[in-house]
Formats: sequence, C-alpha cells, structure tokens
Amino acid sequence: MKKIILALILLLLSSHFTFAQDSKEKISIEFKNATLLSVIKDIETKSSHKFYFDPTWINAHKNLISGNYSNITLDELLDKVLNKTDLNFIILNKKVVLTLNSTIHTDLPANYFADAPPETQNNGSQNSSENPVFYQQYDSLNSYSVTKKASVIFIGKENKEAVKKNYTVSGYIKNEETGKPEANIFIKVKNKNISTSTDPDGLYTLQLPRGINVIEIKSLSHKDVTKTLMVYDDGSFDVNINEKSNQLDEVVIKKKGQRTTETVISGLVSIDIEGIKNIPLILGERDILKVATTFPGIKTTGEGSAGFNVRGGKEDQNLILLDNAVLYNPQHFLGFFSAINPYTAKKADIYKGSIPADFGGRLSSVFDITTKNGNPEKFSGEGAVGPVTSNLSFGLPIQKGKSSVLFGARATYSDWILKSLDDENLKNSEAGFYDGILKYNNAINKNNNLEATLYYSHDRFSISSDSLYKYSNRLASVKWDHTFNEKNKGALIFTNSEYKFNIDYDSDDINSFDFGYKIDESQLQLKMNYLLNKKHTISYGIASKLYNISPGYQHPTNPEATLVATDIAKEKALESALYLSDSYKLSDKLLIDLGLRYSYFASLGEANVNIYEDGLPLNDATIIDTKQYKNNEVVKTYGGIEPRLAARYFFAEDFSIKAGYDMTRQYIHLLSNNVTQSPTDTWKLSDTNVRPQSAQQISLGLYKNLNDDEYEISLEGYYKKSKNILDYKVGAQLLLNENVETELLQGEGKAYGIELLLKKQIGKLNGWIGYTYSRSLIKLNGEFSEEKVNEGKYFASNFDKPHDLSAVLNYKFTKRYSLSTNFLYQTGRPITFPIGTYNYGGAEYTLYSDRNKYRIPDYVRLDIGINIEGNHKIKKLAHSFWNISVYNVLGRNNPYSIFFVTDQSGKIKGQKTSIFSIPVPSITYNFKF
Amino acid sequence: MDSKIMKTLILNKITLLLLLVFMLNSCTETYVLQSNTYEEALVVEATITNELKKHEIKLSKTARLEDDGIAIEIGASVVVKSNAGEIFSFEEKDGIYIAESAFRAEPNKIYSLEIKTKDGKVYQSNEQTLTTPNEIESIVPTVVTDSKEGRGVQIKVNSYDPTNTSKYYRYEYDETYKIIAPKWRGEKLVVTGPQSVALEPNSTDTRICYATKTSNEILLTNTTNLQEDRVNYQVRFISDQNYIITHRYSILVKQYVQNLESYTFRKTMKEISSSASVLSPKQPGFLDGNIKCISNSSEKAIGFFEVSSFSSKRIFFNYKDLFPGEPIPPYYTDCTDEEYKYCFGFSMPIPCRGKALIDNISANTVTYSYNIESSYYYTVPVECGDCTSFSSNIKPSFWID
Repeated sequence: MKKIILALILLLLSSHFTFAQDSKEKISIEFKNATLLSVIKDIETKSSHKFYFDPTWINAHKNLISGNYSNITLDELLDKVLNKTDLNFIILNKKVVLTLNSTIHTDLPANYFADAPPETQNNGSQNSSENPVFYQQYDSLNSYSVTKKASVIFIGKENKEAVKKNYTVSGYIKNEETGKPEANIFIKVKNKNISTSTDPDGLYTLQLPRGINVIEIKSLSHKDVTKTLMVYDDGSFDVNINEKSNQLDEVVIKKKGQRTTETVISGLVSIDIEGIKNIPLILGERDILKVATTFPGIKTTGEGSAGFNVRGGKEDQNLILLDNAVLYNPQHFLGFFSAINPYTAKKADIYKGSIPADFGGRLSSVFDITTKNGNPEKFSGEGAVGPVTSNLSFGLPIQKGKSSVLFGARATYSDWILKSLDDENLKNSEAGFYDGILKYNNAINKNNNLEATLYYSHDRFSISSDSLYKYSNRLASVKWDHTFNEKNKGALIFTNSEYKFNIDYDSDDINSFDFGYKIDESQLQLKMNYLLNKKHTISYGIASKLYNISPGYQHPTNPEATLVATDIAKEKALESALYLSDSYKLSDKLLIDLGLRYSYFASLGEANVNIYEDGLPLNDATIIDTKQYKNNEVVKTYGGIEPRLAARYFFAEDFSIKAGYDMTRQYIHLLSNNVTQSPTDTWKLSDTNVRPQSAQQISLGLYKNLNDDEYEISLEGYYKKSKNILDYKVGAQLLLNENVETELLQGEGKAYGIELLLKKQIGKLNGWIGYTYSRSLIKLNGEFSEEKVNEGKYFASNFDKPHDLSAVLNYKFTKRYSLSTNFLYQTGRPITFPIGTYNYGGAEYTLYSDRNKYRIPDYVRLDIGINIEGNHKIKKLAHSFWNISVYNVLGRNNPYSIFFVTDQSGKIKGQKTSIFSIPVPSITYNFKF
Repeated sequence: MDSKIMKTLILNKITLLLLLVFMLNSCTETYVLQSNTYEEALVVEATITNELKKHEIKLSKTARLEDDGIAIEIGASVVVKSNAGEIFSFEEKDGIYIAESAFRAEPNKIYSLEIKTKDGKVYQSNEQTLTTPNEIESIVPTVVTDSKEGRGVQIKVNSYDPTNTSKYYRYEYDETYKIIAPKWRGEKLVVTGPQSVALEPNSTDTRICYATKTSNEILLTNTTNLQEDRVNYQVRFISDQNYIITHRYSILVKQYVQNLESYTFRKTMKEISSSASVLSPKQPGFLDGNIKCISNSSEKAIGFFEVSSFSSKRIFFNYKDLFPGEPIPPYYTDCTDEEYKYCFGFSMPIPCRGKALIDNISANTVTYSYNIESSYYYTVPVECGDCTSFSSNIKPSFWID
C-alpha cells in the first residue's frame, strides 16, 4: 500500500505526461453478471488500453456488473463501471491506472504552495470541490507527521465533484479481546472541535470535513487509539480497542466510563476492580465490596459484619448480583473478606438511588457485579500471594478470538497454620474458606453471544470448640445475547442460586445436633432493548423466579439424644415481574428515564398456614386454626406497580442536576436479631402473615466537574420512606420457630441523608473523600402493646450512624512507588443496654433500656499501604507488584460487638470485643502473566 | 511458578504465623456500662382476683446492675378504683401494700390502679375487667419418664371452661413437703465444758419438719388452638431423685385466668430472661406493661395490673403410694458419718479431734450420730440430724397426714 502511494506520488510529481488523448475513443461493450476483473479484461481487449492495478483491489470488489454500453468513450464507461467502487482511474497513453480512493490529479491546485495566492476566495462547498485534498500536504504542519503514523485509512472514494463540506463517518468500536461493542467511548478529532461518544451498541457517528482527520479514542479503561482518516466521502470505519492490561495505574474509580454529570441515574457508584488494588485493605486482600463501603451511603454495621446498609436500608434490602445471579452471602469469614474474587471480577455498579426498572426484588440497592471474560487470544492470568489467602486466575482461549474460559480460585491456608500452633485453643479452631468461579464466553457471531458462569464458595469456622459452622453459596448463570436487527436486541438469562448453612454442634453431652438451612432460587429473565429513534430508547422485559426454602432442621446426632428432631415446613413461592422503560432525550440538556415495573408474588403450597384470631396480635396464643394447602396451591398473592423515574438537566457541560423517584417492593426478608448480619440468619418469604416490604425514595443530586474533569464533586440528598420493614418483638426467638410470624413486627422506616463526594481521578495525588450525614429510623407502632417498641415512636435503627467520613488517598512518588491511605470515621451504632435489675414474682430480671437508646463508641480507623511495582520491562515472565499495608495504624480498639454475660454471682456484665485492636501489617505479592 | 514466588510464599508463611495470632486473639475486655445508663423505674406487681381477701400489691424499684437487693418503694398511696365508684385503698405494711378491707373483683366492672409515690409521681394502669371465672377441675400426679428430665412425678392441672373464653392461664404453686431427718438420733451431744461433752435425750421436735416453697418461674399455657377450652398442663415435674417427695408431698396450685395482654406480658418477660441459645440471641428491649407514669411520660414503670379470676386446689401424695416398694430418693445432702478421735493434744497415727468436735457442736453445724465409748465420736451434718436447721417443725394448718 505504502509503496503504491509513493509510486503514485512520483507519478504525480513528474507531471509531464500527455493526458486523455485517447479517452475520446468510442467503444461498444456489454456485460452480464461479470466480475470486475473480467470487465477490465474485456475493456482491455476492446479498447487496446492496458490497465494497471493491484489485483487485491479488484478482488475486494465482489459485486457483479451488468450493462450494455454502445458508442461510449472509455472515460464515460469507466466512470460508470467504477462508480460503485472505491476505485478511481486515470487514462495515460493507452494505459489506464486504477487507484484506490485517491484521484490522481493532472495539475496542482492553484493554492498548493502556500506562498502562491489563491485564485479564488470562495468559501464553502464550492471551495472544497475546487481544492482537492492531498493527504500529505499536512506534512509540514505540526499536527501530523507521516513518519510517526504510517497508516492512513481512506474513507469513501475521492470524487472530484465533491460538493459537501462534511461527510458522515460512522462505525463500531469494539473490544478487540471480546469482540463486544464498547459503549460510551469518547472520540475526538484532533485539533478540531468535533467529538462524540459511542452508543450502547458501540456505534459512533462523526461529521468530518473532507481530508485528513486524526481521531483519538480515549477512555480511562482502554488504551488510547489514534487513527488517521482520509475522508473523501461518507463511509464507515470500525475500530478495535484494547482494555488497559497494564495494572499499574493509579486508583481510578469511574462512573460507567461516562462522566457522572452526563448519566441520568443518580446515586450510582461504579467500581472498576483494576483501579482498587492500591487501597490498603485488611490482610492484603483486594476487596471490591470493602471499597464500596468507602463511598457515601454504603455502610456496614461493624467490622466483620456480613451485610451492607445502603442509604439507611436494612442488610436484606440489597440485591447482590454476580453475573445476574443472586449472591445471598457475599462475604467470607463473617465479613472480613468478600466472596467476590477480585481477579475475576470486572466491575461493580452499585445503584443506591435510582434503580433501573429491570432490577427489582429488593428495596435499597442493587450491587451488579460482572465477571471478566477470559482472554480469547492467548493464555493469561494473574494471582496473588497474601498472608491469609492465595489467589490464582487464568483465561484460556477455546476457539481463538471467539470463545474462552476464565477460571479463578482462592483459598485460605489458615487451617494449616492453626494446626501447627502450640496453643491448645487455637489448635482446635477451624477457620477457612475457598471459592471458585468458571466463566465461559462465546461470541458465536455478530448477532449472538453466549456467556455462562458457575460459582461456588464455601466457609467453615468454629467460634467455640464444640460448634462448627459451615455455609456455602452456589450459583449458575447462562446469558444469551441476541441482536435481532440494528434496533432490537435482547438477552435471555437463566440463573440459579443456592445458599445454605449448617451448624454441627458437637458438645460432650448427648444432645449434639446438626442444624441446617437452605434457600434455592431459579430465575428466567428476558430483557429487550429497542432503539425507537434518536430520542427514545425503550427497554422492556419479563422475569420470573421460583423460590424454595428449607427454613431449618435440627437433628440430634447422638442416637441416645433426648433432643427431639425438628423440621420446619418448607416454603415455596413464585415472584414475577414485567417492566418497561423509556430513556427519552427531550433536548440536549434534559434527559429523562421513565420506568415502570410491575411485580407479582405468589406464595405457594404445600403449606400449613396459621389463622390468627381477628383483632388480636399474632401470638402463639391467638392461633385459632391452621389451614392446609396442597402442593403448588396458591396461598397468598401480592403485587404492585413500582415506578422508577429519573431525570438529568445540564446547567452547563460540566454541571448538572439529577432527580429521581423510585418505588421498590420486596417479598423476601432476612430474619436476624443479631445486631450484625451473620451467616446463620435466615431468609423468609412473604406469606399470609408476613407482608411484603415496600419503599419510596426521592433523590436529588448536583454534579460538577472542575478543572477539565480533574475533580468531580457531587452532592446528593435523599429521603426514603418504607413500609412493612421487619423487626422483632422483645424477646423474639427466630431460629427453628414454627410460628416465626408471631415474633415479627412490621413497621415503618424513614431514612434521609446528604452525601458529599469529592474525587480527584488523575495526578500524583488522587483518591476521594466522602462525607455523609444520614439518619435511619424505624417506627414499630402496632395496635397492641406487644407490637409497640419504644412506645411506638421512631427510633434509631441498628445501623443508624449519622456521621460518616471516609477518605481514600493515593500519592504516587514515582512510576514504581506509591503510598495509599484509607481513613474512616463513623458514629458508633445504636445498642440496647441492660440498665438495671428488678424483682418480679420472686425472680430477678434484667431491665433493658429502650430499643437502641445508647450507642457504642465511635469507629475510627486509619490504614496505610505502600505499593512497589516491579520494573516495567515489557519482556518479562510476569509483571508483578508488592503491596505492604498496615491495617488500623492507630491501633484503636474499635468495638466489634458489645454483649452482656451473667457471671457466677448473677451479675450482668458488659463485654466489648474488638477484632483488630492493634495495627495489623500484611504483605501481598501480586503477579500477572 | 518462578522461584521469586516460591520465595515469597516462604516469607509469607512467617508473616502469616504472626498475623493469625493477632487475629484470633482478638481482644475482649470488660465494657463498663453501669454508671451512665442506670434508669430508676417503679416495679409494680399487682394482681387482684375474685377471691374475697385483702389483696396485696408490691411496689419496688429497679436496682443498679452492680447493686445487690431490691429497694422497696415505701410511703406511696395505692388505690384500686372501679367504674362503680368503689375505691379500695391499700396501706403499706413491711414493704407490702395490703388492702385496708377485704374485697373481691366482680365481673362486668372495670378496675384500674392508681399509685402516687412519696415524691409525687403519679402512675396509672389501663382499665381491666375480670376474666372468666373457671375452677380447677383436678390436679393429677403421675409417674412418668420425661425425655428431658428422666423419671419422676409429673403434676398436671386440669380445668375446663365450657364458655370457651378463658383461654389464657397462668399458674403459681406452693409446694409443701414433709422432711424426716434421716440421721435423727434419740440422743444428742451437748458441750458441757471446754473439753467435755455429754449425751442427752434428744427432742423429737427436730425430727419431722415441713418446708414450703413458692414457684418463681412463670407458668403459662393457652388453649386457643384447641377445640375446647380444656387445660391439661404440667405445672410441676419432680424427679424421682428429689428428696422433697421422700415422704409426703402437697402442692397448692393457683390458677389465674389471664387476658391476652397480661399473658403476653408474662410470656415476654419469660422469653427475655430465658437463656439465649447457641444459635441466636434474644432481642433485648424494654418490657412494656400496662402501667404508665402520667405525671411525667419519661418515667418508666414495669408491671402489669391484672384482674384475674382465681382458683386453687391442693393435693397430697405419699412416695410409697406412687413408687411402691422402691427405695426412697437420696437425701439432699451427704449424711456420711465423720469420725472424731476424742482426745486433746497430740496423738499418732490418728490425730486428736476433740477440739474440732466441740467447736462443731457449739456452732451447730453437726449432730451426733454414734460413738465408740468415749474415744471416738461420729457426727453428721446438722441437716441430717436436725431438720429445724433448715425448715420449720410446725405442721401447717392445711396439712393432712
């Protein structure tokens, strides 16, 4: 290609030919479904002209040519024949030279030499048609150098009669590895004020002036691409881009690759897993969920708590999805490590404000976590060796460039360590977990893509020497993406999740037992997308989910046990939903998203449902009857509309306001009267006696980018009201309770807050600071005294922590050394204290305060980490970096829990447990191959 | 894996060892909660019934966690009012408020309790009516083998409400049992001088005693899920190894028919105090009754003013009737003889214990069992030879032999 161009240029410059003398020669010719090559051969024989060309150009032209021409000049004939091709021609002395895209000009334009005054001063299209474009004329300009960027892409065919000033160039931007279109990729034309970004299908459209255009494709997550286009006419041009495989970047937390100011959704946190590796974390583990909690509005009840509280919502109100399947327990080790393998996870989108209509089933948030695809080109992987866990993941192509698998596994080696310790107590302890994930991806063709994920995690630990706790998550997900046409796309998703736990209580007395719980759910989901026009994008879909719960069994393990085996009756239900949403671009400034979801829940038999006396509280003592339902018989149904509205308005390009109104419904509830979520909490379905929860949230946010997007500031506020929030009666006992509804209260929740986030994405110093002021209150004001808590007034929920400040800051000294710090301050969470004793009926009782009247001490923690990267030689077996971090540098004794025990003398005593009361150093080695 | 990683692995193992020690030795320390959280509250135990008597009401105060004992609320004015205009006043006597005159709660009247404490706080209960009168039909002791507690006497109460409106029942019991000191002897040892003892005829008053214990657990049952309002409830289970049934045993079962509110109050009180299981702790919180401080809404009161229909029944049984031919249960304390070599000063190989004998007899911690002339005396703990050391030798008025 390059040589030909040079040859042409030489031809052009030695401009002393006689032109077109023989082109007036008239010929008659007829073609019938002939290939271009045979047409040229025909013309060669008929006209005695010799053709010069590169055969690949001709072969690339597949259309067959038909036509009957009589008495036509060669000029006219070639014009007609080559009309639909990218080929131009010039007739020189019985020779016909074909050129690709470019025209060979027979004379230089008048203003070719800069010092020559232009003959005409005309502007506009007239001008451009008169001045042909030479792509190397920019040689002398600084903006472009042929030596640097060798290849030029030609768009369209040069046409001397070109009349337009701008041409439309469009195409798809795809990920080279996965072949998937990349949305929201920013494209800019160098030195021109032209830019755009790709739509969800990766499609972009640019209006480019005729001639050389240098386009730059920039994205935080991808390698920059610069392409030089020679634009002659409208045309298309696809670009493949690569993800930044270099994991040596500064922390980059970005919101959907798009500027926060731009999206319609408020309250969305997107975490790119690649970006979080520098944050100092506990025992050197990278942890996507821990990072999430450094953002405003996402909290945990305490260190080592398995659940999240998003905007004042309970732990069970978060829909945690791993490749579309629900992950019931996202934590290992009671919450010290997340169950998400950081090396296989790609990113997490956390919706805490507006929740798109395709998600449903939980009140407060959606954690949408996606897994990477394996590298379809070559075997590659990464891993880490840390003090508690080791981690390895690798991707393997199956069919090169098309399908691949990704495998990730992680395990602890704490057991081995514990066993080798001298301490008797520790020797008999057990603690360990492992998880594994397998993802298959097949880009079958342009219109079909298949993905499948299998995941399993397992934990076991013993707190006391006589009980062994085990729990596991298992999930499977299959997704088939299909593009029907340019406007219609769809995805069919099947998922199955199982969570179970088991307690082996093996004490010395004969009443050892085995206790277990299991939840299983399967969902089939169809998601459709319809691009109605430039203004409207419609999404719609349907989903249906079947639940099966074994709420608990307790079986004695000793045949002589006096303990009676208990089996609580199974629960079954079907939850379905329909949704429709329209993203409507009213103007360049105003974008709205109107979503509507309808969810429907049916509790199914086989079941024995307690009927309670009318007008009396649910109580073991008010059961008047038990109604029996057959298998799959509908016991009770619930349903309702869930509107989801969001709007964004630009005050300026880098300053926007967003508002949202969301309603959500939830039919499954976590029963947990521990203050923190624990693996032994059980999920309970709504039924005749337990109503579904619902919530409404309004949110408003202001978003501003400063200093060319260097800083991002957002201020978001929300107010949320919820109904039928589950709580527990005083003295409630939840596990193995056949009439568990008698222990439950359903009350109103109220949460509000202001969240301020300042982010700096680039530069030597980067990171973010978030501050939240929020309250989370609950009111349990039933009709009856036993259904009232704190006299039926609003009181602070278990996770009400008004002040929350977190700062994650990184400083990069050199390319290889960086320091990162993580600071956290939170108000201590509320607690119910024993406040005295009293005597009643001859026995002594402990007097407890009003529910959650007191608070445990504030939580303060500082972590520091240093990252040392290996050298940056390209040819190396493995790229590596070291992470040395110290958790809780201040050594503050943050309480994990406060509990009360009665000592031998019958006195109640408070005990405070801290998990990490001293600074905990760790070192991790990470590698990538 | 390259050698670098291997090296790291080894290094990390060392780090790990250190770390896990920190991790698992997570620290637990005493958390001081006494000083700042104490709230004083009035505790009210007030049950009036359809029994004609001087009803009693108990007022006490909550105590600090670190304090022993309960403070009685004295000097309060306590009245029970009915909607018929009756006012029953209570006066304090030894920390208990006793009705000035006997009265009974009557059906179809609405009662409420009012308390004005010495420092001017006014408490009021909500309105209560008498629950359905319902007599105990029978109390039946049976020998059973319980899966949890083994073999013993199960005492069940039966009652029946044909109107099907009683539904919620609370029970209390007083149990009285005859005690015969197993090592009572016709003679007793008395100290006659610093180094002299003598045998005297023993009083028969110390051989047979009666002890009475009142239940303090909360005993509740309901009949809501039954076709008929028929109670068949175990109020007491006594193991066949429990000495209290050795001879003759009597139980007075008191039945209080509750309403749902008072039933739930006691049930919650019971649940809060029962020990949490391995699996899950109880939800703690303040226990709300039906008595409120109306002079200051932030003052707390614990307790429930209940107006219950009352019924009681007493039964007796003998061990030999229920367990014919079986050996009697072991005594509650070990009655092995203890040997004293009766001499003073030094002796070998058996040391002199004359002084110890005199000290123990004087302190009344042992009783005489037998002797070998005056060189060896044998004693048993005082409980084995003298039942008045721990119970009363006065036969209760209700006792029928």
